[in-house]
Amino acid sequence: MTWRSVVAVILLCAGAGLGVVATIGVTVMRDWQDRVHYAGLSSFGVFLISLSILVRESFSVIGNKALAVGVLLLLAGPVMVHVTLRSGRIRTLGDWRRNVDEESR
Amino acid sequence: MNQWLFASLVLAICLVPCACVCIFAGPLAGLAALEVASALTTAILMLLAESFRRQPFIDLAVVFSALSIVGAIVFARLLEHDL
Repeated sequence: MTWRSVVAVILLCAGAGLGVVATIGVTVMRDWQDRVHYAGLSSFGVFLISLSILVRESFSVIGNKALAVGVLLLLAGPVMVHVTLRSGRIRTLGDWRRNVDEESR
Repeated sequence: MNQWLFASLVLAICLVPCACVCIFAGPLAGLAALEVASALTTAILMLLAESFRRQPFIDLAVVFSALSIVGAIVFARLLEHDL
């Protein structure tokens, strides 16, 4: 067993563990704002899994594409969380920009 | 069964609670569960490609990750108003 396979297994376990924790969190939490936190956590899990594939395969076709997927989800995770919270804010409390326009008049 | 296939099986089981939240919880909680489920599905597709040693399978994960991001943003925009 080489050091590469050991590191790959460690990263794989960490990534899968983050996925399981994100699933438990999004299932158990009571409020939708609490559940949104775990959407960002799951993208970190995907990033760790892509790193484990990269460690095992090195910079091959599958390694490069796995890294691209992991980086894409890592960068898009906060954006998706923000968009979800913004959508929920507008849905529950209304559009805040309308209030700002009315106060400025 | 190697470790990659086992991890994909564990993550596939995790899709069931996410689906339950999508069905039985409110729309915003369902959207959060959808985002978690899409990340898990991307990981499953990557793990299956690595497990079966089939490089073309990783293209499914690439396409799915991009489409899931766009889909989640579209759902969020639609949920700003009552459907």
